[in-house]
Amino acid sequence: MAAKKNEPMNARSAAKAQAQAQVRAQERRTTVIIVAASVVGLALFGALIFFIINQGKVPELGTDGAVAPASADATGGVSVGTGGVAGVDVPTDAPRVDIYLDFMCPICNTFEQINAADLDTLRESGAIQLYYHPISILDRYSQGTEFSTRAAGAAGVVADKAPEAFHDFVNAMFANQPAENTSGLSDADISQIAVTAGVPEDVAGSLDSADMRKWATAATDRASQDGMQGTPTVRVSASGVFDEGEVLDPNTVPYFEAGGLKAYLESLG
Amino acid sequence: MSIETTQVEDATRGRWATVQPWLSTLVRLSMAVILVAAAIPKMLDIPQSVRAVRAYRLLPEEVVPLVGTMLPFLELVLALFLFAGLFTRLAAIAWLVMMAAFVFGVAWAWAKGLSIDCGCFGGGGDVAEGTTNYPLHMLERAGFVALGTFLVIWPRSRLSVDGWMRAA
Repeated sequence: MAAKKNEPMNARSAAKAQAQAQVRAQERRTTVIIVAASVVGLALFGALIFFIINQGKVPELGTDGAVAPASADATGGVSVGTGGVAGVDVPTDAPRVDIYLDFMCPICNTFEQINAADLDTLRESGAIQLYYHPISILDRYSQGTEFSTRAAGAAGVVADKAPEAFHDFVNAMFANQPAENTSGLSDADISQIAVTAGVPEDVAGSLDSADMRKWATAATDRASQDGMQGTPTVRVSASGVFDEGEVLDPNTVPYFEAGGLKAYLESLG
Repeated sequence: MSIETTQVEDATRGRWATVQPWLSTLVRLSMAVILVAAAIPKMLDIPQSVRAVRAYRLLPEEVVPLVGTMLPFLELVLALFLFAGLFTRLAAIAWLVMMAAFVFGVAWAWAKGLSIDCGCFGGGGDVAEGTTNYPLHMLERAGFVALGTFLVIWPRSRLSVDGWMRAA
């Protein structure tokens, strides 16, 4: 009898407990959804702010307020003329050769060793317009010291203030190239190399220009838009107009073999 | 005979019911770790991430910087959801959508003969000729797709916010 009386009550309380549990579960769900939505919203908002700040930090090449070496053009290339001076006596009607290099990149060093003499010969005879693009894609290999950016910025300062020493400075930087995954060369080391390469003392003291490092960063971004394929990249325009140029495929033009690049460039002229 | 088979099936089903939630936990935590491993190097070198996206030559230049910047953030947010076991099935679907995009990108680069690193774990962008390992990348992708598919089918897992939400 007693048991029979209790049964409906038990069922009722069980139903009540279940309903309460459902309400609690619903509340938890609501809380979690609010928290999750806030996290996603904040993350996306943060990323967007971060993006906008980053965009503004480095002015694009050629925009107002952007610093660039006097001897560099809008593509971030520093021309070296027939006399070896940056921006002076550059032929206008010859095929244009653009070399993209990162001072931390060992293959660039190899490339320079193989081709530097050939390129100098062609350049001095006025057979090519030669442009060097010191860029920075290997900052992650210098233990946080951003050697690639510092070195490319230094090259920018030299191109700007000591154009007669630019070519020798580039060669000297490769001759003293640090190994990857080291801290690279210090700013003082770079200044010393510059002085030895013929950069005046007062210019050598200002190689750490923050503005010129921004130029190096902007030039790197520009290079990747122009088809830079890691470093070294060789881009050649037979007509001499940059926009008509194409990145050379080392399988087609064997520029890691002695004389390979020279033979190709002579075939254009 | 038929009774025995049923018993074996029941036993197998019982064991699966115990193992599956733990397996799903393992799968979703691995996916979270993979995402974090992919996001950190990109986060540390955003310009590199942008160049890596550009190297696929797939997206218009107008959106390349935005995509390259946002990608590691999205990866981290997704990692957070997988780590917590929150909306697990939805997160697994998001993972699969992301993988589909990446696989498409790598297949595109491969088909066009571009010599690029996938940039999956930072770095990336163009690499020296001949150092691109497309088959290995594709194998890796296949494994990642398998993980995601498992989680879409069996999203219930131990130690998850989903479980806590559902509990009485």
